[in-house]
Amino acid sequence: MIHLNRLSYSFGSNWALKDISLHVEKGEFIFLTGHSGAGKTTLMRLLYGALPVKRGQATVAGYELHKLKRKQIPDLRRELGVVFQDFKILPNRSVYENVALALTVRSMAKSTIDKRVRAIIRALGLENKTYIKCHKLSGGEQQRVAIARSMVVNPKLILADEPTGNLDFELSMHLMDVFKQFHTHGTTIIMATHSREILRTVPDAKVIHLDGGKICEPPEHILSEMAS
Amino acid sequence: MISLIFRLIGRGIRDLGLHPWANIFTLVAVTMVSLLAALFMFTLHNVNQELLKTRGQVQMQIFWQSGTAAEAYNRQWDKLSKLDGLKEIRTFTPDDALKHLSEALNGEDDFAWMKEQNNPLQPTALLAFSVKAGVENDRWATDLLSRLKELPYVDKVHYNPLQIDLAKGWIGLTRSVIWPIIGFLGLVVALVVGNTIRLSLMTRKDEIEILYLVGAKQWFIRLPLLTGGALLGLTGSSIALGTLYGAQIFFEDVLNFPPLFIKLTFLPPDQCIALLGAVTLIGMFSSFVAVRG
Repeated sequence: MIHLNRLSYSFGSNWALKDISLHVEKGEFIFLTGHSGAGKTTLMRLLYGALPVKRGQATVAGYELHKLKRKQIPDLRRELGVVFQDFKILPNRSVYENVALALTVRSMAKSTIDKRVRAIIRALGLENKTYIKCHKLSGGEQQRVAIARSMVVNPKLILADEPTGNLDFELSMHLMDVFKQFHTHGTTIIMATHSREILRTVPDAKVIHLDGGKICEPPEHILSEMAS
Repeated sequence: MISLIFRLIGRGIRDLGLHPWANIFTLVAVTMVSLLAALFMFTLHNVNQELLKTRGQVQMQIFWQSGTAAEAYNRQWDKLSKLDGLKEIRTFTPDDALKHLSEALNGEDDFAWMKEQNNPLQPTALLAFSVKAGVENDRWATDLLSRLKELPYVDKVHYNPLQIDLAKGWIGLTRSVIWPIIGFLGLVVALVVGNTIRLSLMTRKDEIEILYLVGAKQWFIRLPLLTGGALLGLTGSSIALGTLYGAQIFFEDVLNFPPLFIKLTFLPPDQCIALLGAVTLIGMFSSFVAVRG
């Protein structure tokens, strides 16, 4: 699903990532850990084409990012689902419109869009909020809308950058259940987090720890959290 | 595909309602700038009209032979009044000419003794033609002159070739002054309207970012925004022209008194279309640039 070979990225003279090599198989659940500034978000942004690959090689869902042209980025993103800490949903549009957006850009038939949107909204327990504008929803509900939007396209890969960072413990656990459900259906998930509670929810997940832009061995406390 | 394009255009129109205040303020700004531009064009147009009326004309005076039957020269006056480019025709029968002569002499002599078959003055017509830009005026004038001279019963035709040079010079001057001014005005309108629409699109920055994130292609994002930009430009410039038209009707005769006699006229259709088209295109272009940024 993902193959990185000596991937590096710098902002001016500051190296955010240095010589990252990584291989992720289809259906894996990966936790990306590390302190703030370790390079987690930069790596995520490289994976969904928000930053160009200038040094090293990266292949994501069959797309060679180091050779990717600008006009091919939308095609890459159609294979992915991306979830952010700050939700990135349209507050003045309804739940239905936000979720349908991901399918509308693919020029799908209205009836297909309707069927798939309603199914995912039901699966995430948002059916009684279908036509409510998103700014009226709680944080947890807004994040569920963002997850619904990323999942409605049946992505091969989900990239989640601190998806529970703005939520309380209970809501975070509920959302992790949602992610796990999709994972059991074969979706590959890469989730950036530094929450111990979140790490504990998927004990069989692989942990990739970043420090100073390099992949390191996960610290002992992370491994013990996973084990517990 | 075509239905999708129409759907996106429809979405562009509907989306204007998503940020009503931002769009209302943008529309007001576009309207005001368009109104200023239209007002400037209106002033230029009227000043130019007035100046051309007095300085962009060529006069020719035709004298018919003495004793020509009134029926003959009356018929020719009718035909002459339909000539292309004719702005004004003033005709004088021998009696009219005598009357004007008497008035010119403060009525000291009514020349009654000259009437009744003794009037030596000839029937005349004074024709004023507007000089057309782009026409070879010397040739046009000599052609017209020879045509007029060939008319039956015509004795002679007077005209001043210097008038042609003067009119040509004046037209050249107005053209060389007006076009740079209009160009500068266009630049100012483009910058102000363009930046206003670009700034108004900042309210939709998040939406554009999200659309890119879910895999929307460039045209899918741009088409509704271009539609919105074009609609803002077209509506703003239409309101501006409508307001100006209302004002023109209201103030039409405000300068129409002695000695000015200036009747304010509205912008010609080609200038109206140019303004509407330019502001609409600026709206579209600035939306295009905003998304690109």
